[in-house]
Amino acid sequence: MEAVITAEGLRKSFRHRKAVVEAVKDVSLEVGRGEIFGFLGPNGAGKTTTLRMLTTLLPIDAGTANLAGFDVTREPKQVRQRIGYVSQAGGADDMSTGWENLILQGRLYGGDLDSVRTQAKELAAVLDLTEFADRKVMTYSGGQRRRLDLALGLVHQPEVLFLDEPTTGLDPLNRANLWNHIRAIQERGLTVFLTTHYLDEADALCDRLTIMDHGSIVAEGTPRELKREVVGDSVMLGLNDDLVERASGLLRAEAFIRKIGAEDGGLRLYVDDGSAALPELLRVLDRHQIALKSISLSEPTLDDVFLQYTGRSLRDAGGLREEKV
Amino acid sequence: MRIVSDTGLMFQRHFTQQMRNPTWLFVGISSPVLYLALFTPLLEHFTRAASTGVVLDTFFPGILALLAFASGTAQGFGTIFELRSGVVERLRVTPASRFAILVGPIASAMTFMYFFDVVAVAVAYGFGFEINWGGLLVLAVLIGVFMATVSAWSVATALTMKEIDRFASVTNGLNLPTLLLAGVLLPISFGPTWMRVVAHFDPLYYVVEGARSLGAGAFGSSEVWQAFAVLVPLCGLVLAWATSVFKKAVA
Repeated sequence: MEAVITAEGLRKSFRHRKAVVEAVKDVSLEVGRGEIFGFLGPNGAGKTTTLRMLTTLLPIDAGTANLAGFDVTREPKQVRQRIGYVSQAGGADDMSTGWENLILQGRLYGGDLDSVRTQAKELAAVLDLTEFADRKVMTYSGGQRRRLDLALGLVHQPEVLFLDEPTTGLDPLNRANLWNHIRAIQERGLTVFLTTHYLDEADALCDRLTIMDHGSIVAEGTPRELKREVVGDSVMLGLNDDLVERASGLLRAEAFIRKIGAEDGGLRLYVDDGSAALPELLRVLDRHQIALKSISLSEPTLDDVFLQYTGRSLRDAGGLREEKV
Repeated sequence: MRIVSDTGLMFQRHFTQQMRNPTWLFVGISSPVLYLALFTPLLEHFTRAASTGVVLDTFFPGILALLAFASGTAQGFGTIFELRSGVVERLRVTPASRFAILVGPIASAMTFMYFFDVVAVAVAYGFGFEINWGGLLVLAVLIGVFMATVSAWSVATALTMKEIDRFASVTNGLNLPTLLLAGVLLPISFGPTWMRVVAHFDPLYYVVEGARSLGAGAFGSSEVWQAFAVLVPLCGLVLAWATSVFKKAVA
């Protein structure tokens, strides 16, 4: 996998009323070309600060970052030309139309008017903006505005698109819609780097993600890997009380079961991969003629992962709080 | 030249948006007229001048300097809004020249200021203000330099303060002494010695003094060259500082 973003030992601290706050401590990461890479963590975890360092918006205190072959500190212009960045606030001009916003942005990246126009039209078609792109941005709905923000980050055909909390404040329908658009962007060959404090978003979108807390990366992997590293999938077997003892003894001998314990109404098992383990499990039980009342499979969530690595649930860590604007 | 085309784009953006704001245009045109209509009669009485024209010959150039000051300090409020709405970040993440991002909107605001000034001069002329064309042209350059200085200062301060209330406190806190010490409406020569000394630390003072001389057509007067000698280097310094703030702005 060709790496398009590499960062080594990134650090950033801020001075706040004489106290020094370490916002980012020693963050290293590598993102492959064409991936959707995610930063998951609660507010204040250092996600945005890291993003702002990678996008040349914030000077790096220590460490190095390389984007598409250029050093972020020494060659910011080359980096800027190759990346798009959509901040939480967006940044489209309210008093201008969608077209005007897109064309200005493309021109600021050095494109000539004709090619910027062509590119803007194509993007508007991909992101479903065409219908309202000649209206002023102040008339847009939240979802429309967010799609324009995406287009603004893409108009100069960057290699990497950075999205800071892309769906914060959107309703569920618009979130799902935006996710589809982000996937469509990836299919055009772009690398997408996003931050989110939504578990379902990281789960649904990211090929790979890191979990951040208190300025450090606490875990990294594909959503599946991360969830499996924690507890694996859990299977609940509904059994008559008199069978629990026997079933537990039998299943303990099976290698594919990582953990087993009695619970009200049956047994709770933890397995690496639920879909592969279920038939195996049923075969074993069937062979020993143990009658099953019910069986259910539940996958761990990224919240379990977060809990495992930080000792707190993401909800408690403030991850799901509304952003202050 | 990239820096020129970037400045042009930023100019155009600001200009188009202001043109779509009729309230702002109306206030821009009416405030110099209000100054003339509401202040001239008072001065006329106070100075026991022979005619409105004589009063205006003395005070109108100061009003132009005052308008330049007001239009400069207003720039930072726009910056605060753009900071909060993500516009500053959106512009800073492009490879566009930081100087262009700063100067384009200032140049556009200056164009509007000149337009309002022309309206004001026309109205003042109607009241009897005696126009010295050469003097007014040099005065236009002087208030342009001054307006650019104040704008750049205001934008950079806004980027540093980040919050509207903090920025407004600083701006308002500085406005009052700056205006009073400059003798915009009443000449500082009316004041005691200490005031006349302190006034020399107020850039607006030099502009007002220079403006009065230029309004009267006294190109060669010491007030005029002093005004340029103070303002031109100051403008360079403030622009350089503001550009560097844009380079590393932390929001």
